[in-house]
Amino acid sequence: MSVEIDDARDPRFDASRRRLLAALGAAGASAALSLWPRLTLAATGTDTRLLVVLLRGAMDGLHLLPPQGDADYARLRGALAVQDALRLDGDFGLHAALPFAHQLYARRQLLPVLAVAPPYRQRSHFDAQDCLENGSDRPGGARDGWLGRCVGALGGEAAGVAVAQVMPLAMRGSDRVATWSPPLPRPLDDALMTQLQVLYAADPQLAAAFDDALQAEDAGMAGAMAGTMAAQDAGAAAAAGGRRLGGFRLPDALAAAARRMRGAEGARVGFVEDTGWDTHRGQAQALQRKFGELDAGLRAVEAGLGADWARTVVLVVTEFGRTVAVNGSAGTDHGVGGHALLAGGAVRGGRIAGDWPGLGARALHEGRDLRATTDLRALFKGLLLTHLGVSEAALETRIFPDSRAVRAMTGLV
Amino acid sequence: MPSTPQFSAVNRFGLGARADEVAEVGDDPRGWLLDQLRPAPMPHGYAGLPSSLELLRIRAGLVQGALQARQTETDRAALSRAAAPTGDGAQAPSSRRRDARAMPEDRRAGARTLVRESVREIGLRHAHAATTALPFQERLVRFWSNHFAVSADKNAARSQAAPMEREAIRPHVLGRFADLLLAVETHPAMLLYLDNVASVGEGSRLAGAAERRAARRARMAASGIGDETGMEDAPPPRPVRIPGLNENLAREILELHTLGVDGGYRQDDVRELARAISGWGTPGPRQLAGAEHAHAEHAFVFRAAAHEPGARTVLGRRYAEDGLEQGQAILRDLALHPSTARHLSLKLARHFVADAPPPALVERMAAAYLRSGGALPALYRAMVSDDAAWSPQARKFRTPDDFVVAAMRAGDLTLGEDPRGLLRLLDGLGQPVFTPRSPAGFPDTTADWATGDALRKRVQAASALAARMRSPLLPVALARRTVGAADGDLAALLRRAGSPQEGYALLFASPAFQWRV
Repeated sequence: MSVEIDDARDPRFDASRRRLLAALGAAGASAALSLWPRLTLAATGTDTRLLVVLLRGAMDGLHLLPPQGDADYARLRGALAVQDALRLDGDFGLHAALPFAHQLYARRQLLPVLAVAPPYRQRSHFDAQDCLENGSDRPGGARDGWLGRCVGALGGEAAGVAVAQVMPLAMRGSDRVATWSPPLPRPLDDALMTQLQVLYAADPQLAAAFDDALQAEDAGMAGAMAGTMAAQDAGAAAAAGGRRLGGFRLPDALAAAARRMRGAEGARVGFVEDTGWDTHRGQAQALQRKFGELDAGLRAVEAGLGADWARTVVLVVTEFGRTVAVNGSAGTDHGVGGHALLAGGAVRGGRIAGDWPGLGARALHEGRDLRATTDLRALFKGLLLTHLGVSEAALETRIFPDSRAVRAMTGLV
Repeated sequence: MPSTPQFSAVNRFGLGARADEVAEVGDDPRGWLLDQLRPAPMPHGYAGLPSSLELLRIRAGLVQGALQARQTETDRAALSRAAAPTGDGAQAPSSRRRDARAMPEDRRAGARTLVRESVREIGLRHAHAATTALPFQERLVRFWSNHFAVSADKNAARSQAAPMEREAIRPHVLGRFADLLLAVETHPAMLLYLDNVASVGEGSRLAGAAERRAARRARMAASGIGDETGMEDAPPPRPVRIPGLNENLAREILELHTLGVDGGYRQDDVRELARAISGWGTPGPRQLAGAEHAHAEHAFVFRAAAHEPGARTVLGRRYAEDGLEQGQAILRDLALHPSTARHLSLKLARHFVADAPPPALVERMAAAYLRSGGALPALYRAMVSDDAAWSPQARKFRTPDDFVVAAMRAGDLTLGEDPRGLLRLLDGLGQPVFTPRSPAGFPDTTADWATGDALRKRVQAASALAARMRSPLLPVALARRTVGAADGDLAALLRRAGSPQEGYALLFASPAFQWRV
């Protein structure tokens, strides 16, 4: 990750943050890296949890965290500029559809990370998601994902769970990762499973998956029981304010993930994905709804994890940001730099991390997009190292090979 | 287990064997497939389905009605505020709820029609897949539907996804790719799904008029004219929105529909293509609902006023201003680009043959496609005639939809009265009909679909499907005819099954049934 950030900074902006950095003793060029003020190694037991939420479709960071202190924001965003944001600090607000996240910020359990992106600069959703998930420096750079490899590196009994109908790339690479999605309303026939075992054992490509099927947590339970669990998941989400329109939405998925990560037997790594963030049209209305779901989802995670919330980081990421300017249909097109959110009891929050490159004409990437000042892998590496306690050797050789130049962020937890 | 060419013809290239199908293939499996590349009538019942234009009209009525209702609500709220200046905030939300329930009968009927016709079409489509004697052709239709994915979770495109397959894909599945491409990119489903209906050239007449309006309003505001309305409470006039370009469709045409992501285009090409196809849209509400003389006759309209004037350069080639023709010319060239040939060939070979198909096969298919001037049958023929496509070791994991269709064909199952059971089943299995949630379509490799949770649901679905079986064939005989398992562990299990139903469930849930070999 290059550090030519200071030049790109808009001098009219962020003076307060610079002063703060100076006060922290970070001087000169390194002032750009506001997340490196000191090397704090947080206590990393074997009971910490990481839940990654991937918002597919490119969530518009400028809408989530309107940079109200940036003089160019209102001008470039025009009618789409967010007016009634909740206050975070003098420079940034938080969209008003996220009141729970705002509470978390006040409790110092929410840490926005600004201007991040995977190391990919084109604007294809699918390549960017591939790059973000495989953890290399390019799309197609690995056949499995950094979270899957992470579960493998954690060793022991550590397990992962993806709330998804198909195994996401990010979670591939370990046989201790399972997927979960709402069960069919029909009992699973145990006798049938037992008979099928011998057939699947002989199929090298399906044997491991079938073992997972046999060992899944609600295997062997009557269908009624499975139904009850689904109802509990739904109930938790509903209690947390999630909307249920017959479908299984982000709050439901997050509640389901929390249930499977709770307690000593719970999965240490979770993954939830959501779609519908590609707001080329009518962005204000679409994001009003989607942000509300995200907020209800965070609430459901806290409720679902109980005491384990204190040892948890929820990482909300997206594949890239969106154009700074509004497009011709009250939406935004594909951009580069986006924002991430860290939430959870383990997060050192209540402040804003990452480097704000500014929205001035010279600061923008190709004259149109927010510049990405931090490689997402720096954030990922920081969380794995300091929160999950993955060894540096595993991090550099197995999980993020060939990424030594991308130094792990510190001070996150 | 290794497959014979007869089984490969019906399972790898078809939609899964019907009980009597393998016997019909005979000793020329390639000929049996190639013979299916002939014009076929529309599936049974399709003639009675509403056109995309009719569906646009119904939807426009719904939207119009909803807008009017909201306006009425706003007016009423303003009146009640005026009547009770102290403000009783509790009243407004409850009255809004009442209004929502009191949706007028004609709008409710319109909404019901959209849902009913969608469900009906999907039911007919699956019934056709379960019974067609041209399963190779039907699989091709479904392949292209997924290649040009329109996801029904986008509200505006919801009722148009299935009609796009019917109107744009089926008529061109045996034609030239350029014609297929043009039909899809001008279909309301795609124009709505990828937002081109809202894309307006920055230098177009429409954008110019909006800019002049905005400037006028700014002048009025500066001179204070707007402040003399005498209504201090009146909301400020809505700012004039200057319409502009939307890149969404242009980008996905290049990335997903034609060249492929590594096909050699750049951001400039995306912008230029977006300008070229600006103005490609659907009829407006007035044309859809308006007076007789304004009535739209086609679901596609070229709105010249929204089109960016001037010449465009895409992939280094210059296209003179030519209205609608300009974008069409670019698409026709894209269809014949070598990157497109490779991209389409790779996706087809990956769909039919193996997750990682032999590169040489892909190259030969691409060459045949280009030699033919972009004729799709040449592409299909190159695949089917190539020994590499018939490798006994090659196999594909059935997607949930494939799995359900294969079980329906094997078991001669029908949907019964209500296709919604099928919709719920595919939802639960992870492949909701026409809802891939991404313009990239549903994924197409084993790693995407073969997880433990997915296998559990296959077993559940197998039981559900088996419970409806009324086959004259016992499970062992049905297995022999559909997956070719005459001996081994599966046959032994089927013989021992406690009941035919249990045997059918074992067959459908067996690994042999999960693969197309």
